[in-house]
Amino acid sequence: MLKGMKLDTSALESHRLLIGASNELQNGFSTAPSFEIPNTTDFDCFQKEAIQMVKPAKGTTTLAFIFKEGVMVAADSRASMGGYISSQSVKKIIEINPYMLGTMAGGAADCQFWHRNLGVKCRLHELANKRRISVTGASKLLANILYSYRGMGLSVGTMIAGWDETGPGLYYVDSEGGRLKGMRFSVGSGSPYAYGVLDSGYRYDMSVDEAAELARRAIYHATFRDGASGGVASVYYVGADGWKKLSGDDVAELHYNYYPVQPTVAEHVMVEG
Amino acid sequence: MGTAAVDVPMKGGFSFDHCRRNAMLSDKGLKPPSFLKTGTTIVGLIFQDGVILGADTRATEGPIVADKNCEKIHYMAPNIYCCGAGTAADTEAVTDTVSSQLQLHRYHTSRESRVVTALSLLKSHLFSYQGHVSAALVLGGVDVTGPHLHTIYPHGSTDTLPFATMGSGSLAAMAVFESKYREGLARDEGIKLVTEAICSGIFNDLGSGSNVDVCVITKGQTEYLRNLQTPNPRTYVNERGYSFSKKTEVLSTKITPLKELVEVIEGGDAMEE
Amino acid sequence: MLDRAARSTKPGPVTFGILLKLDLESPPSQHSPKTALRFAYSSLSSSSKFQQSPPMSIFEYNGSAVIAMVGKNCFAIASDRRLGVQLQTIATDFQKIYRVHDKLFIGLSGLATDAQTLYQRLVFRHKLYELREERNMKPETFASLVSALLYEKRFGPYFCQPVIAGLGDENKPFICTMDSIGAKELAKDFVVSGTASESLYGACEAMFKPDMEPEELFETISQALLSSVDRDCLSGWGGHVYVVTPTEVTERILKGRMD
Repeated sequence: MLKGMKLDTSALESHRLLIGASNELQNGFSTAPSFEIPNTTDFDCFQKEAIQMVKPAKGTTTLAFIFKEGVMVAADSRASMGGYISSQSVKKIIEINPYMLGTMAGGAADCQFWHRNLGVKCRLHELANKRRISVTGASKLLANILYSYRGMGLSVGTMIAGWDETGPGLYYVDSEGGRLKGMRFSVGSGSPYAYGVLDSGYRYDMSVDEAAELARRAIYHATFRDGASGGVASVYYVGADGWKKLSGDDVAELHYNYYPVQPTVAEHVMVEG
Repeated sequence: MGTAAVDVPMKGGFSFDHCRRNAMLSDKGLKPPSFLKTGTTIVGLIFQDGVILGADTRATEGPIVADKNCEKIHYMAPNIYCCGAGTAADTEAVTDTVSSQLQLHRYHTSRESRVVTALSLLKSHLFSYQGHVSAALVLGGVDVTGPHLHTIYPHGSTDTLPFATMGSGSLAAMAVFESKYREGLARDEGIKLVTEAICSGIFNDLGSGSNVDVCVITKGQTEYLRNLQTPNPRTYVNERGYSFSKKTEVLSTKITPLKELVEVIEGGDAMEE
Repeated sequence: MLDRAARSTKPGPVTFGILLKLDLESPPSQHSPKTALRFAYSSLSSSSKFQQSPPMSIFEYNGSAVIAMVGKNCFAIASDRRLGVQLQTIATDFQKIYRVHDKLFIGLSGLATDAQTLYQRLVFRHKLYELREERNMKPETFASLVSALLYEKRFGPYFCQPVIAGLGDENKPFICTMDSIGAKELAKDFVVSGTASESLYGACEAMFKPDMEPEELFETISQALLSSVDRDCLSGWGGHVYVVTPTEVTERILKGRMD
């Protein structure tokens, strides 16, 4: 029944009509990528097995918040498979374009692919409309795609942060189709810990330095408590001139900066008698 | 006062205290632990003067080689030895138990143990646990009635054979025996054939590996040839050893000198009787 | 509250704590999963449905790494310092190596509650032995005792894997490990156990060399431990090393990555 069926998401395309008749070049780029649906009678069961087979990389702490000067985005850099740490230097903040960043939680492949795809769409929007896409619009493009694949095993938890004509923008988008506008988000297994620091230290009128320090600290505390987060805490800032990477600190060093320890002199225990 | 009695079981044997808890845990979707297995090649044959037993020396835990040179030929009595395959703890425990029962039996009767005695002790133990004690054994020995060789399966069934193999490498080893075994082998020929069968297991079965152990039992004499052949020596050892780029950082050190233990012998006369 | 329950040494609440924790499908400190969005996104958080999909081994519940090495007339035994509940780190000063007597140590990896119970039973049995025999146990004897205690529960095991290290007669070093039902694995060089055991095997195979002096032994075991736990989510957060020679015991706390 499902044989050969293809998901058609073309209805979700916003720029299709604007560009006009399709040509070869656009066929490759502007149509929404779509997956062949497997030739199986029990689709749900197949999906479950497929998800198990390509285990999504989990375990992450990402956060972003809007403050007076713009948006601060930060993330750790660990990738794990079960208990095994497969990398300590993953780039979890994806640069969509010079004014927009995406964060990565959930399946690494899913996030990378769809952010790249989003980048293409944003650029096409820019060429068609002679102005940059708004953060609102970009996040909705992504949310619509993810919604069309809802329940098919995609695993994406992302924040789209950027600066547009209306100023700073921040949206949370996930593979269940959710899309939320907000001032402060954290996503991933370390998010409860990051929220703790973020919520207690957040003020709207922070300076860039203060905000960067808050973001860094929140990531550090999350990596300390969460086994699946760690590596490097990278902090990005998006202002009116686009994004800028502010820092990338090894959290092992951050720990001993926040909580210095002095090596003690060897203690000799006396034996009685 | 009650606890002490509970803690030290008077009669020995299994305690089923944790069974319900652990069953509950595995119902919750927790994987029960994997045990040390000897995915093994063990063999035995009867030659003109007695019995020769052989085994490889690999112990595995899932895909990991846990021990590269373990002992799988267990002592039962001076004239009886037993090769074990299956769960390591079970083969170890069952052979130890029967070995001590045989020792007690010898004290009682002042006669050399017979192989059939060991056989029936082993099989009745295994049968009573209905295969849950997973030990697959090759039992060999020479007693007053001559040389004997038996195989014992985890459920308690037994075979009496002129040549036998067991474990995951049993097919590889049996191929060698089937093509080359004949009655009335000389000692050297027998050892050579056993070694060849074990090597066939070592090289063709992934569950078996490392070295060859052989045990030759003849009337009134037993020779345990530990690591008779070592066909898999380490070839990748760095001559200069390993040097570390950065010294380990130590936060605190505590040094406790140990007391000299002096044995006090009370007055010279006390020892005399 | 749950965490405290899981750390308590009383058998009752411990079991309760664990079962309660395992019932949770959502991350530890999650608010009401009824909120549509939170719930929706829980699939990406720590103990989500995806995370649950490959069944977790009970050995991985608390996380641990234990290792012992033999040197020249000495031995070293080391462990990490983390106590976690799955991915959540509860404590970073947790004791996994216990002293039985001056020249005999046991490291217990696996489920912390079982490890502590087992240790208490071992202490009890060792004290009875001391009273009866007026001497310390030899490491070999102690290993057999541990093995017997574990095998007694063959069909309902303690979920821990011990590492035993000691100096025996004439100060000959002895090390040994076991699986959770007491199959002894005697080694001449090194033994490992815990969630980082695979990495530890690799590190030790590369770094170990025979007949090391105490100082070099310390450096080797520490490097092996620290580099291995850096590849494991569930262990690390510092290290704890004992080096034992016939004349002294040196205990060191190592500085390690805290993530």
